[in-house]
Amino acid sequence: MSDARQSGSSTVWSLVLFTTLALFAATLYAIFVVAPVEQQMGIVQKIFYFHVPSAYAMYIGFGVSAVGSAVYLLKRDPKWDAIGVAGAEVGTLFCLIVLLTGPLWARKAWGVWWTWDPRLTTTLLAGMIFAAYLALRSMGNAGEVEKRFAAGLALFGLVDLPLIHYSVQRWRGVHPTVITGKGGGLESEMYWALGLSFIAFTGLAVLLIWARASAERQREETARLRFELMHR
Amino acid sequence: MRALIAALVLGCTMLITPMVVAESPPEPETAASESQKDAAEERATQFVGVRGPEAESVSGGALLLAAYAIVWALLFLFLLRMRGLQRQTAEELERLSAEIRASGDR
Repeated sequence: MSDARQSGSSTVWSLVLFTTLALFAATLYAIFVVAPVEQQMGIVQKIFYFHVPSAYAMYIGFGVSAVGSAVYLLKRDPKWDAIGVAGAEVGTLFCLIVLLTGPLWARKAWGVWWTWDPRLTTTLLAGMIFAAYLALRSMGNAGEVEKRFAAGLALFGLVDLPLIHYSVQRWRGVHPTVITGKGGGLESEMYWALGLSFIAFTGLAVLLIWARASAERQREETARLRFELMHR
Repeated sequence: MRALIAALVLGCTMLITPMVVAESPPEPETAASESQKDAAEERATQFVGVRGPEAESVSGGALLLAAYAIVWALLFLFLLRMRGLQRQTAEELERLSAEIRASGDR
């Protein structure tokens, strides 16, 4: 990479980083100071402001992983494989956040930690598919066959994302539909908090995918150098 | 004669029973579909903010605190993992550089 391009990349990185940090500060202020406490559920409803954007960040991560994997299968360029790995890891991270914060809200709202609601089940399924992807990639140094198989798994996982999104509209369940479908919406202060949180989590997902893809590319490059050195 | 009467009774029963069944109103099915519809409509469709003194005090506070702690803890663990990966790569590069230097000296 040329010096000018690297410098430009660093500038964009720093810009996204500081914007995201500022947005997180504003988001926390909006959630705990500006947005009112919800009438039925009380203060526990504030989990919603991190839970829903985390689910959105999960979509970004898994979507990026699927796109990276698809391009890798077509071009066999390691750069896209690194993007696929980064997207899968970041998506799984946010999926874990969704699957752990959701039950804390559900315990108060539904009286149970977990129920086999369509949205919960399809989200768990997506998490398991991409956990399998990561397990496959973590088995020693992944060869070409493992990379291609994992890429196929990421594309399979992509099919589950629309199922998660539309599960609350197509199937009966208990998961709230406040901001999608026929939901009644939020109060304006709640929309502000949620909107800021969405932008902050988008920035965070982009930063994490970017950093992880960069680390993966360096790791791959090191492995390639080691291989060349051994066979010189 | 008895056999003829029995045959007539059986024939009438076979003809009339399906007609009675067809004409009877399907009440249980309607009730079931109504209850399913109600169940489908039980999901929350809006969040309404409480104003003034009705606002609930911190009954779900522990759950909220746990949720936010999980978010930050997982993000921190992910950053630690990335740091570990980068350290491994740096050490590997250092080792490779040393090997290249050593092979150049020979």
